[in-house]
Amino acid sequence: MHVIPIRSSCRIRVTVNGRPVELDVRPEALLLDVLRDRLELKGARRSCDVQVCGACTVLLDGAPVSACTFLAVEADGREVLTVEGLATGDRLDPLQEAFMDHGAVQCGFCTAGMLLTARALLAEEPAPSPARVAEYLRGSLCRCTGYRKIVEAILACARPAGVAR
Amino acid sequence: MRVVRDLDVAVPPPALWEMLWDVPRMVACLPGCGEAREIEPHRRYEARMTQRVGPITLSVPLEVTVSGVVPPTSLALEARGRDGALGANVAMSVRLAVAPREAGSRVRIEAEGKILGKLGALGHGIIQRKAEELIDEFGARLRRAVEG
Amino acid sequence: MLRPFALYQPATVAEASEVLARDGRDASLYAGGTEVLLILKAGLLRVRSLIDVKRVPGLAEIRADDGHLSIGATATHRAVERAPAVHARCPLVAGVARHVANIRVRNVGTVGGNLAFADPHSDLATVFLVFDAVVRLASRAGERELPLGDFVRGAYETARAEDELLTAVRLAPWPAGAAGAYVKFGVHERPTLGVAVALMRDGAAIAGARVAVGCVGPRPQRAGAAEERLRGWALADLERHADEVAALAAGEVEPVTDLHGSSEYKRDMTRVFVRRTLLVAAARAAGRDTHARHPHTIIV
Repeated sequence: MHVIPIRSSCRIRVTVNGRPVELDVRPEALLLDVLRDRLELKGARRSCDVQVCGACTVLLDGAPVSACTFLAVEADGREVLTVEGLATGDRLDPLQEAFMDHGAVQCGFCTAGMLLTARALLAEEPAPSPARVAEYLRGSLCRCTGYRKIVEAILACARPAGVAR
Repeated sequence: MRVVRDLDVAVPPPALWEMLWDVPRMVACLPGCGEAREIEPHRRYEARMTQRVGPITLSVPLEVTVSGVVPPTSLALEARGRDGALGANVAMSVRLAVAPREAGSRVRIEAEGKILGKLGALGHGIIQRKAEELIDEFGARLRRAVEG
Repeated sequence: MLRPFALYQPATVAEASEVLARDGRDASLYAGGTEVLLILKAGLLRVRSLIDVKRVPGLAEIRADDGHLSIGATATHRAVERAPAVHARCPLVAGVARHVANIRVRNVGTVGGNLAFADPHSDLATVFLVFDAVVRLASRAGERELPLGDFVRGAYETARAEDELLTAVRLAPWPAGAAGAYVKFGVHERPTLGVAVALMRDGAAIAGARVAVGCVGPRPQRAGAAEERLRGWALADLERHADEVAALAAGEVEPVTDLHGSSEYKRDMTRVFVRRTLLVAAARAAGRDTHARHPHTIIV
């Protein structure tokens, strides 16, 4: 039986935004803290801390998870995508372009979570209906925009022939 | 939370009062409480109360004070304490009033309590129900202790 | 920041059971962590050991099991939503799984974790009751099975012994011709009310019914009196009698006042939503789809 004893660390190997990373983490370390404090990836935010709001969303092997309630050791051997991994140099992801074009960003606090969740949706369903977008984004909260522009931006990136990137 | 119960027992009022006024023994009838330790006779006591709900254990060292007594009919107690591990402050007050009945006596139990802290907020829905269960069990144990 | 703990990753049920037996209330089982990590973060629970059961083989399996549907304890809600076996045998369950919480919780949270934590506000625990769910518990000593209604004893209380793990839940698919629905209501993160209805048919009549109400009380429950009243009626008459049946169901629940509402409100909403769910199920039994919509309500 594999055991990580109390107060000892375990080495994890994670691919973060396409790059391999090796870290020693304690069993109780949360993925959000490792991303923000050890890897300086501040896009994911601690907000509600109870998996309700989506501000801490990251993609784990393409699936949205709440980094605030996810043990870092569980990311061993897996791929993590944060909002910082969406753009390539100067070139923004089409979802990021669409959010800007449609006015889907106000304070920006929810935006990272929205973008990543939208990306996961479009990877699974390239042409979702507006109702499906709203359903999939349930649990990603925005206090500013009233959601309409966010949904419009996502729909603008939806196309049957391909996905956001 | 607030619970009111009437408990009928088959002994005359003086016998019931004697049991209630034996505060350490009476406190021990509350499930999760060991016998109260006397600090100042008939004034101050200490007791530890432990309650479990699912995986969560609340364990509180309580300071129990007799806040009012009109022998041989009524007794009021206050209990306060804090579970440091859970960050939960507990404050309770209990009034016990004895009256004669045809077949013995009746004690009216009025209990009010608050739990402050995360447990109080998250556990809001079950605290009332749990308190009712505890007072019901308290009554049953009291009856057994008094009726022998 | 969480207080330190050791992380065990047993490869067998027996290994997991050993750690549970050794550490008792200082240990907790862990799968998706969507419940246990929350109470650890809130400081309401302290453990020396977390026992990660996701490496025990077979615990995530979703499969047909001799006419039944078996869902492994570490199957995620997302897996249940997509599993062909669930769609084939108990399609309503796939729909309910799809609407639990949010996408992040569904990707990580497990069926076994949900049932074993026994939060009163559980969609799956409610809908499983109308599939005659039976849970399987295992320890070093062996296995046993228990109807879900006996397993969930109250708010956060189950019949799981300290050294046991829940390994699977088994559902009985409905007979041919049956129709049902699950309707949930609420504005908070967890639902305020969930109603599951199954109508079994005998031609144009209701041969039997199952009505389960969850979230309003300490645990989800079947409304036996309401079920009994439904038996024997013609489906076509159900609309006329839905009020009466709903009132019966509302009398059977044991609502608790909390931040979702007073017990009086919950009892009244039980009546409202049992009626609505009956009508949806009746429409489906008649081969019609329903276009009913209500605020803050999801109809599965």
